[in-house]
Amino acid sequence: MEGNTLGHLLYGLQIALSPINLLYAFIGCLVGTLIGVLPGIGPAGGMALLIPLTYGKEPASAIILLAGIYYGAMYGGSTTSILLNVPGEAASVVTTLDGYQMARKGLAGPALSIAAIGSFIAGSIGVGLLMLVGPPLAKAALKFGPGETFALMVFGLSMVTSLSGKSLRKGFVSTILGLMLATVGTDLPTGLIRFTFGIPKLMEGFDVVVVAIGLFAVSEILTCAEEMSAGSYTTAPLTRIWLSLKDFLQSLGAILRGTFLGFFIGVLPGAAHVTASFLSYTVEKRFSRHPERFGHGEIRGVAAPESANNSAACGALIPLLTLGLPASAVTAVLYGALLMVGVRPSPFLFQKHPDVAWGLIGSMYIGNVMLLILNLPLVGLWVRILRTPARWLFPMVLAVSFVGVYSVNNAPLDLLLATILGVLGYFMRKLDYPLAPVILGLVLGDLLEQALRQTLMISGGSLLPLLQSPICLVLFGLAGVVMIAPKLMYRKAVRLEIET
Amino acid sequence: MIRAERAGAALGVVLGAGYLWGALAIPEISIGDPLGPRAFPLLLGGLMALLAASLLVWPAGGQLVGMGISLQTVGLVLLLGLYGYGIPRLGYPLATFLFLGIGSRLLGERSLWVGPVVSACLSAAIFLLFTRVLDIPLPLGVLAGLQG
Repeated sequence: MEGNTLGHLLYGLQIALSPINLLYAFIGCLVGTLIGVLPGIGPAGGMALLIPLTYGKEPASAIILLAGIYYGAMYGGSTTSILLNVPGEAASVVTTLDGYQMARKGLAGPALSIAAIGSFIAGSIGVGLLMLVGPPLAKAALKFGPGETFALMVFGLSMVTSLSGKSLRKGFVSTILGLMLATVGTDLPTGLIRFTFGIPKLMEGFDVVVVAIGLFAVSEILTCAEEMSAGSYTTAPLTRIWLSLKDFLQSLGAILRGTFLGFFIGVLPGAAHVTASFLSYTVEKRFSRHPERFGHGEIRGVAAPESANNSAACGALIPLLTLGLPASAVTAVLYGALLMVGVRPSPFLFQKHPDVAWGLIGSMYIGNVMLLILNLPLVGLWVRILRTPARWLFPMVLAVSFVGVYSVNNAPLDLLLATILGVLGYFMRKLDYPLAPVILGLVLGDLLEQALRQTLMISGGSLLPLLQSPICLVLFGLAGVVMIAPKLMYRKAVRLEIET
Repeated sequence: MIRAERAGAALGVVLGAGYLWGALAIPEISIGDPLGPRAFPLLLGGLMALLAASLLVWPAGGQLVGMGISLQTVGLVLLLGLYGYGIPRLGYPLATFLFLGIGSRLLGERSLWVGPVVSACLSAAIFLLFTRVLDIPLPLGVLAGLQG
């Protein structure tokens, strides 16, 4: 990626702006938005399902189409989280915390708008960062061994403190439940089967989509059905549709922080965009003057994770484009698609296939603009979904969610699991156990255990490497700060209150 | 409310203990893997049982809501179970038609003709959106025979 970056970018834009590639980018963004809006399928699954669309196309056009789907799905993922408390994928779980509360207060429009604008800003800055700091960052990411990954996962789990509501113990119970679910299935290092109760399907473990749909969508609708029968359910009002300048200015800092945080986390291997969205939410809550507003419809609680999740998508492309390494599920699909069109991802991708690499970067700029133009006018339409009578809206959401669950593996058992998890989520809500930490535990659990075991295998059973690596020490330190800071801040607030 | 919370915590203790029991049954294999496949689950089971026990003894409270379950909720859970069972057997369009029709009636739709008409339109629209627009295969089930 050396040399005249501006000249290369202009070359990329020239490729992306050709009429046929513009059309592919538009189709990709449109289909991606649709996939993102529909709960369950997610960016990686959606791209994998739509790879056949790329057959017979020029390599640059094929990748532009798939990148559009990727971007569109990341944009659209927030829609059902905000409107219906149904996260389309794991990274959108955090958006439900404040997005859905905003919708319940009649502010679904501003929530959807800030998610689209935040995604646009994050996507645009993310592509810029990808061009400028991509190669050195990719080399730095290679220093991330199993020990560092373990420390990152510990840091990730420390975020439970910001998702826990009033009781930290209940937050930990939810997180451990997620970690326990993550241990179900085949243990990769030994090939042993754990906690499957003889059910072959469980050998693959729990799919995050199935758990998210069950815990959030099914339990939400069961709760609403109960409110309907008690006569206490009210349709969300429509206070206003459009975002005010004040809302935007209030969220700008959160968007920028989420963008940079998300981008750098995105480069790292593992569940980067999930970690990025959870982390950016934690940072906003911790540094806010009014942390008590988070979880009750705070606009920055939507802006930060949505921006982080989109810039993490740019960061995740760095190892693929500069080293030829797919570091996430989505980039693995892109890797496969590149191979299918005759392009082998390698550290020389920019030299050997500049049309593909720079065309992709150019199309990301174009795609971002297209998605903003496509998504902002749709806000009014999406918000009107909430006017659908609840007796039709809820069964419809369940029917669409179940297609999402079914399409993941074509496994009827997943539908049963989603129902059981829905009942579990329903009772967890009643007893005030937070649901988001279950997803956090499930996503990070496997990576955490494998990284720790790999570290110990390499060191012959010694934990010393974890204490000798500066990256590990910094991450453990940050985890400690995240865990202890709320208590210290609470004590300080109590002391100040007593003094005054 | 505290009784409900204690019941929830007791279930947590049972879950933790049951998981711990399951973890103890995992064979100890440690060739080149000092931790093995058993240690992490043992830790999790122990932590779950301890935390749940602490909630059993000292309930945390929070925003607890009534523990009563409405008949509508129970009906919806049963319907969801049947829907999941029906999709691969009856096919997505027919199972969804039945699910939407019965589900909407359960949630308060009273009109005898609105239910079937809207259910038929919605199930067909969702099926066509997934299979034709997104190219995601869904089972046609008993309706496959009508295709010839």
